[in-house]
Amino acid sequence: MALKDVERHKIDEPEHEPVRVRGLPFFPHFLLREVVVMCLIAGSILLLASLFPASLLKPADPFDTPSPIYPEWYFLYVFGFLKFWIWNIGPIEAKTIGVTLPMVVWYGLLFLVPFIDRNPSSDIKKRKVAVALGIIAVIGVLYFTYFSIVHH
Amino acid sequence: MTLSDKLYKWFDERLKLSELLPPIVKHPAPENVTSNPLYCLGGTAFLCFLILVLTGIFLAMYYKPTPVEAYKSVERIMTEVPMGSLIRSIHHWAANIMIAAVMLHMLRIYFMGAYKKPRELNWVVGISLLLITTTFGFSGYLLPWDQLAFWATKIGTGIAGSIPVMGIYISLILVGGNDIGPETLTRFYALHVLILPATVAILLVLHFLMVRLQGISGRL
Repeated sequence: MALKDVERHKIDEPEHEPVRVRGLPFFPHFLLREVVVMCLIAGSILLLASLFPASLLKPADPFDTPSPIYPEWYFLYVFGFLKFWIWNIGPIEAKTIGVTLPMVVWYGLLFLVPFIDRNPSSDIKKRKVAVALGIIAVIGVLYFTYFSIVHH
Repeated sequence: MTLSDKLYKWFDERLKLSELLPPIVKHPAPENVTSNPLYCLGGTAFLCFLILVLTGIFLAMYYKPTPVEAYKSVERIMTEVPMGSLIRSIHHWAANIMIAAVMLHMLRIYFMGAYKKPRELNWVVGISLLLITTTFGFSGYLLPWDQLAFWATKIGTGIAGSIPVMGIYISLILVGGNDIGPETLTRFYALHVLILPATVAILLVLHFLMVRLQGISGRL
């Protein structure tokens, strides 16, 4: 293995204590590994494409609604949540909530993650709340995906 | 002096390669990155994007974005065009794998807490890329103009149209009228082959520059 010790100087430290970083130099060692991984992924895509070709159904017909109809798999959770949420809250319709929560609120929260989570630690043991919320979110998305398939 | 040395010298004198290249080429990839396969997810998404651009260019050469011609042109790609069926299938699979890879990449960043100071802005760029990647998939889904494409888009634009306040405008911009028709198809086509690829390319440059500037989390 072509491991290389590199000395890095932290400028803000008065005594200029070197920080050792062990790693592969980008060229050629790291790049070679990347190329191998890329070949594996490209090969897998080629295999999948040959074994399971992209489908083409009947031409679009606006007067013939097929049943069941699904959106793309990555939007199934939105579709599932829309079916799951059947309660009006005051003047707000159930449908509005069913769309707003998984689209607007969900993406809004995702954008704001670094500004909500002010805990400076990246040690998984010291950020139990963030990890728990993350696991709940993943289970939620998977559950609503499942819900959309079962209750079509 | 060999030919390659001469060529290098020619470009070096004009582009200062010997100053520009070493920081890129000799920059070490940290050991925790090279030993953990989870760090491949972002690169997988990027590779998929490159494959999608390449196969997409070939598909665009044969595809015709009108309701009358769209289905026939895709049918022709699948049956008559040499390797057409393979190219379209690769495009299809690379798209799905790219979306999955972007999602899993986000999960890795989240659970490793890699979005913390100073990387907050790169997280925001990353979520924008996730949003655009799914929009990319959504806009590409309509193009074959088959039953699945039409009705999935009907649901999708319907859901987007129900968002309070912005919904009607999003729906009007996307659909270009009251119902899915010729306007929708050309709009989705423009979105899919011009607007979104350019946006992704710009955001990817920002994403990679910030990775380089801020370093990879947990390297020290």
